[in-house]
Amino acid sequence: MARSWRNFFRRETDPAQESGSGVATTTQDEEVPPAEEVLARRDETLAEGEEEAAGEVVEETLPGQDAVEAAPDAASAIERQESGGWFGRLRSGLKRSRESVVGQLNAAVAEFRDADDEEFWEMVEEILIASDVGVTTTAELVRELEQEALEKNITSGRELRALLVEHATRMLEGQVELDVSHRPTVILMVGVNGTGKTTTIGKLVNFLPGSVMLAAGDTFRAAAIEQLQRWGERTGAPVVARQRGADAAAVAHDAVEAAKRDGVDILLVDTAGRLHNKVNLMAELNKVRRVIDRQLPGAPHEVLLTIDATTGQNGLRQAKMFDEVAGVTGVILTKLDGTAKGGIALAIANELGVPIKLISVGEKAEDLHPFDAREFAEALFGDL
Amino acid sequence: MFETLGERLNSALDGVRSSGNLTEDQVKKVTREIRLALLEADVNYAVVKDFVGKVRERATGAEVSRALSPGQQVVKIVDEELANLMGATVHKLSFASRPPTVVLLAGLNGHGKTTAAGKLALFVRKLGKSPYLVACDTYRPAAIDQLKQIGRELGVPVYDEGTEPPPEEIAERGIRAARDGGYDFVIVDTAGRQVVDMEMMEELKRVRKASRPHSVLLVLDVVTGQNAVEVAQAFQEYADFDGMVLTKLDGDARGGAALSVVSVTGRPIRFASEGEKLSEFDYFYPDRMSGRILGMGDVLTLIEKAEEQMDRREAEAQGKKLMSGKFDFEDFLRQMRMIKKMGPLSGLLEMIPGLGKQLQGVQIDDRQLGRVEAMVTSMTARERRNPKLLQNPSRVRRIARGSGTTQRDVQQLVKQFGEMQKMMKKMGKGGVPKMPRMPFK
Repeated sequence: MARSWRNFFRRETDPAQESGSGVATTTQDEEVPPAEEVLARRDETLAEGEEEAAGEVVEETLPGQDAVEAAPDAASAIERQESGGWFGRLRSGLKRSRESVVGQLNAAVAEFRDADDEEFWEMVEEILIASDVGVTTTAELVRELEQEALEKNITSGRELRALLVEHATRMLEGQVELDVSHRPTVILMVGVNGTGKTTTIGKLVNFLPGSVMLAAGDTFRAAAIEQLQRWGERTGAPVVARQRGADAAAVAHDAVEAAKRDGVDILLVDTAGRLHNKVNLMAELNKVRRVIDRQLPGAPHEVLLTIDATTGQNGLRQAKMFDEVAGVTGVILTKLDGTAKGGIALAIANELGVPIKLISVGEKAEDLHPFDAREFAEALFGDL
Repeated sequence: MFETLGERLNSALDGVRSSGNLTEDQVKKVTREIRLALLEADVNYAVVKDFVGKVRERATGAEVSRALSPGQQVVKIVDEELANLMGATVHKLSFASRPPTVVLLAGLNGHGKTTAAGKLALFVRKLGKSPYLVACDTYRPAAIDQLKQIGRELGVPVYDEGTEPPPEEIAERGIRAARDGGYDFVIVDTAGRQVVDMEMMEELKRVRKASRPHSVLLVLDVVTGQNAVEVAQAFQEYADFDGMVLTKLDGDARGGAALSVVSVTGRPIRFASEGEKLSEFDYFYPDRMSGRILGMGDVLTLIEKAEEQMDRREAEAQGKKLMSGKFDFEDFLRQMRMIKKMGPLSGLLEMIPGLGKQLQGVQIDDRQLGRVEAMVTSMTARERRNPKLLQNPSRVRRIARGSGTTQRDVQQLVKQFGEMQKMMKKMGKGGVPKMPRMPFK
């Protein structure tokens, strides 16, 4: 029932995508000092990765069991949760909040008589706002619902909830697939401090088809490089790093060169967390992007923004600013395992048109999942 | 993307005359705007409901002060209610009579505990304490390394036992090591956790018990949304925190979560952490938060200033005089000086939400005000009280000479003042309240 990892990676080249990025790239000369890279490799695990990469059509290395083959680490856990699946996990993760939200919705829906009931709509508004959907998108959603309820002369709460899920799904739908058709494909991870960039990279590595290389672009936070190296050790992906305090763009430069040289399929570039209102730090991020584009025209092919599900309306600003500076191709909604409902995803998809691509519902690698609009909407508002 | 509350209230109260009481209808309009502003600031909706109810009660029938516009008046009520909620006191650290003082940091993943631990260490060292850090985050890869790097940077020792032992044991031994080493302020850093993870919450309970802290601080990211309430309640249940550290305040989040948590748990915010430098950490000043949540820039400061300068009784007398058309140059001078006391005019106008943008490029010359004042002070007392005398050219000549201006300047001032008087008189009789051209500029 969950969206499969198998269809998540788009491997054919899309000429439209190839032509370049949405962000203005200038080719100024940036000083990129010569590499003194530290390649943290583990020979046995790397061999495994290369074997996988050797398969011409990677699709074949990922048979029907979704991610199981690609993520040996995750296999046992997936079996363990066979019954519930990720949706079950998401639901249980959201259980406490669901109980209140859905409980309220149920109570409200039970009272629903006709579309003219203003008190009822106010209640729906409240429920949406309590899920961090935000005032603007809530108003839009309620307006749509109200109109359709009138037109279709809906009188049962059940139908109404289905309608709510339907509309939310439509708002959430977007280009979910991850474009990994390039060789190497460069994926840039961006986001505010503490939203889970490095952790998500550690999880994502397990699912990516082909050989993966990591770039420790967070040269600022204490021990961020070590954290990524730890993930490299666990997953067998080589890590390109410099010392702390080094120029992040230089690390990205080294990494792209290394990825090209070594014939790596996918390069994941970590960056330091930064607040979106810090002009200098955002300029630095833009430089990282430009340097990557210069070393490999058209790259980065994906720019993924991590957003903490506990984030309120500021998430909109985060997405807007990061998109302006780095050209965000998708959002990863992290930490959905708490009481947060992640309604900000709805606001981001609706108000900014940035698609949600992945969600993370727990601390383990297998807790990372391709985003499914309908199931997310159902987990938010549905009672199945 | 967001309108400030000040702007919303101004447009909601557009056309409301600055006299009399606020009607029920006006209050309804206004409270609706307040509700939206608070929700957009991520204040929990249940807290908003409660809060707006209080404001409505106070605003209905509230007399409009002459010093403030009706919008400002409501903002003031909101601000006071916010202040009631947040408390006015700065909660300074207290230290154990028998050192070491032990502080435990807890919170969700990624809200900035480890960084806050380092910042707090530096903060207490400046207060003359000798801090000691204990690394109990045995989960996140390299979390211990992070704390150790911070410790090295600050020259503060970090106790760790790697990731194997249970955190409660690490905490206990770490605190003992601090005591033995003669350190008097121990900061215990714990792993980030989600409140629905019962195992982790139970573990936190054990760490709390083992470390017997003098203070438990919940570290909360200022961007937190509606669920801040559930998070805080869970941490209250398992860790019984007595205060909060609000982090990432250098971002542009409104921080309504802070309000939610304070109002639900009754626990104050003790520290504000903003910025990536370890020194950017201070006690939390609650009065600074209200303007931020409401997104009103410094409008509150403006309101305060206006109120300070304008004695209420005097204001009422002035208002009556103004409306009756008996307003003379003496009154004008008094008002002008009042405005001057509030600071430069350009700065004053910038503080008004919505006006800031319109004023871009407009040069407001404070010297102009000085010139007008010079002209008025060059008038005799009789002239000031009876502006009609100023039709006399020789008087005008004298005033121009005395104030270093031209006769034309003086004539213009007199003419505009006359127009203003007429306008005020009309307003007093219930005419259209339209701002007359002020006699300067």
